Amino acid sequence: MFSPSIHQETLMGKLKILADAAKYDASCASGTAGKRSAQKGDGGIGSLTGGTGICHSFTPDGRCVSLLKILMTNYCTYDCQYCINRISSNVQRARFKEEEVVELTLNFYKRNYIEGLFLSSGIIQSPDYTMEAMIRIIKTLRTTHGFKGYIHLKTIPNASPQLQIKAGWYADRLSINVEFPTQTSLNQYAPEKNIEDITSTMGRLKEKISEGNTERKMPRYTPGGQSTQMIIGADSTSDKGILLTSVGLYKHYKLRRVYYSAFSPIPDSSSLLPSRPAPLIREHRLYQADWLLRFYEFTLDDILVGTQGDMLDLNHDPKLAWALQNRHLFPLDLNTADRHLLLKIPGLGVRSVDKIIALRRFHLLTWEDLSKLHVSLNKVKPFVSVLNYRPHRQILDQDNLGLLVQKPKQMNLFESNSQCQLF
Amino acid sequence: MPAFLIHTIPGFEEWKTNARHCLTQKIPPSQIQWQSHYEDANLNLFASEPIDDHKKPFSNPPAARDLKVPRSFMELAQIVICHNSPERFALLYRVVWRLLHENRLLLDYQTDSDMRQLVAMAKAVRRDAYKIKALLRFREVLHNDKNHFVAWYEPEHYTLELALPFFQERFKNMSWSILTQYRSAHWDREKLILTETADKAVYPNEDAVEAYWVQYYASIFNPARLKTKAMLSQMPKKYWKHMPETAQIESLIHNASQQVMVMISKQNQI
Repeated sequence: MFSPSIHQETLMGKLKILADAAKYDASCASGTAGKRSAQKGDGGIGSLTGGTGICHSFTPDGRCVSLLKILMTNYCTYDCQYCINRISSNVQRARFKEEEVVELTLNFYKRNYIEGLFLSSGIIQSPDYTMEAMIRIIKTLRTTHGFKGYIHLKTIPNASPQLQIKAGWYADRLSINVEFPTQTSLNQYAPEKNIEDITSTMGRLKEKISEGNTERKMPRYTPGGQSTQMIIGADSTSDKGILLTSVGLYKHYKLRRVYYSAFSPIPDSSSLLPSRPAPLIREHRLYQADWLLRFYEFTLDDILVGTQGDMLDLNHDPKLAWALQNRHLFPLDLNTADRHLLLKIPGLGVRSVDKIIALRRFHLLTWEDLSKLHVSLNKVKPFVSVLNYRPHRQILDQDNLGLLVQKPKQMNLFESNSQCQLF
Repeated sequence: MPAFLIHTIPGFEEWKTNARHCLTQKIPPSQIQWQSHYEDANLNLFASEPIDDHKKPFSNPPAARDLKVPRSFMELAQIVICHNSPERFALLYRVVWRLLHENRLLLDYQTDSDMRQLVAMAKAVRRDAYKIKALLRFREVLHNDKNHFVAWYEPEHYTLELALPFFQERFKNMSWSILTQYRSAHWDREKLILTETADKAVYPNEDAVEAYWVQYYASIFNPARLKTKAMLSQMPKKYWKHMPETAQIESLIHNASQQVMVMISKQNQI
C-alpha cells in the first residue's frame, strides 16, 4: 500500500520537479519489445502485449503519455547549454530516493496509468556512480517486484562499458542521445560530450543485442533495441546534415528510432541558444522524411532533390516535394503500377497501397473506388490514372501544383501531427 | 419469415447457431429478421412488441459440413458482433451468405458496401476496446482487509470481454473489479466472475495515488509546444470522464502561452 503520509510534500514536490525536467525528451512511446507477462502466483506484475505500447493519456502538447518519464535527479555536473538541468542553471533541484522511483512506478502501473518507466538522470558525482544507482532501481523493479512492464533507460554518456551492458539485462530499451548531429555543435553546446564515445557505446550495445537474441534460454537482452534523440534548430546544422546522421545511425547501429525534438525555450536558458522556438513544422518534416526513408523505399537523394540550402521544404511534405520534382513519372496507372511506385504517390499511404493491390484482383479500379478507400482525392488527383479518369497534362505542368493539392486551409506552422499513433 | 430474438450480449454464439440453421435451410438474408433483447429493452423503449418466445434459438445446430467460411471471417465476426448497432446480426448473416453463394473472396473486396460497413464497424469496436485498455483507471480500496482495485468504465460498444484478457494477463496477481454499464468482471487472482449488473456506487470516490498522477500529467506537459488539436484528435472529450488528469486541461492550456512568454523575456534579459 502506498504510504504518502510521511513524505507527502517532499515526494509530490520531487515528482513535480523531476517530471518537469524530463519533458524535453521527445521519446514518448514504449516501443515493441516482444510478449511477456507475470505468472500466476509469482507475485509479479505487468505484461508486454507484443505491439507498441498503449498511450494512456495525451497532454495538451499532443504527446502521448505512455511511461512514467522522470529523472532520478536533476542535479548535474555537466554544462550542456541546451539542457535545463546543466550545472550553471538556476533551476530548482531534487533527487528521488531509489525506492521512491520503484514505488511510484508500481503504484502508477497498478492503476493502469502507464506502460512502464522511462528513467533518465542528471550526472551526479560521476557517470558510473549515477549509472549504478539507475541500474539498482530497475533491477529492484525486475527482481524484487517481478515487474514485467516496459523499462526505457537513458544511459549515461561516459559511464563504463560494463555498466552500459549491464543495464540492458533489465531494460527493454536503452537510449543515448546524440543531441547534435555534428561534433562541432557538440563542442559548442555540450562540451563534455563526444560523438565518438556515444557511437562506440551504441556499437557495443548493437553487438550485445544481436548476440543476446540468439541465445534462447536467456531472458532477451534489450528486446526494444536502442533509440536516440537530436535537437533541431538550436544549432545551424541543415536538414541534410541531420538526415545524413540519422541514416548513418540506422545503418551502423541498427537504431529502432531517431527522435527529432524541435528546440523549445527552456526556463533560465543559456544566451548561446536562440530565444525563439524552432518551428514544429520543421521537426514534422524531418519525421516525414525519416518515415519515407524507412518504410517507403526513398533514398536520401530522393528526399534532397530540389531542396534549397539543404533544407526540407516547409510548405510541402517531402513526398509531395519529390513528386513535384519528378512530374515526368506521373500520372501512374493504379491498375498496373508496381508497389514501389504506388508508394511514391502523394496521398497514398502503405495501407491504401495494399488495399489497391488487393482490389485489382476483382476489377479495374475506377475513380469511385478511390473515394471508397478514403484516399485524399484532391491530393492524388494530378498523379494517378484509373479506368475512367486521367488528369490533363496541363495540370501536372502547372507551377502552383503544390498549392493546388494541399488542404484548402493553410497549415498552422506550429501545428503538426502527434508522433505517437494509436495503431 | 424466421425471426430471431438474441438474448445474450453481445450474442455471438446465439447468432452463430441461428445463422448455421438458416444457411443449411438456404434461407436468404432478406427473409430473416434479427432482434436483440437487450437493445430493445434498453434502447428502443417505444419499439414494437418483442418477438414471441416460441422463436427461441435452435437448440441443436444442424451439421455444418458445407458451411466452410474463411477463418478470417469468423475472427472479424467476433469483433463486429461487439458493435452496439442492432444491424450487426443481419449484416453478418448477409456477408456470410454472400461468401457462400456469391463470392468467396468477398472479404478482400474493400469497396463493396457490406464490406465497407463491416470493416468500419470492426474498426470502431477495436478502437473502443483499445480505449478501455488505455483509459480505464483503477482505484484502490481495502476489501476484507485486502487491497482491491476497482474501475468504472463505460465503453461505447460491448467491448469489456475483448479487453479482459489484457487485464487478466497484466494484473494477474492483483484482485480487481471492472464495472461497466452492461456487465461487470471480477478477478480474485484465481478466477474470473462475470455479473450482469454493475453498481456505480461501488466505485470509490478517491485514491491515495491519484493526486500524484494528476501532478505528473501537469508537469510532463510542455507549454512551449501547445497542440491542442492533436490532443483532441487522439483523446476526444467524450473520454475525459474516465480520466482524473483531464480536469486541469483547461487551466494548463490557459496558462501555457503566459509561461512561454515569461521564459522568453527572462532569457532576453540575460
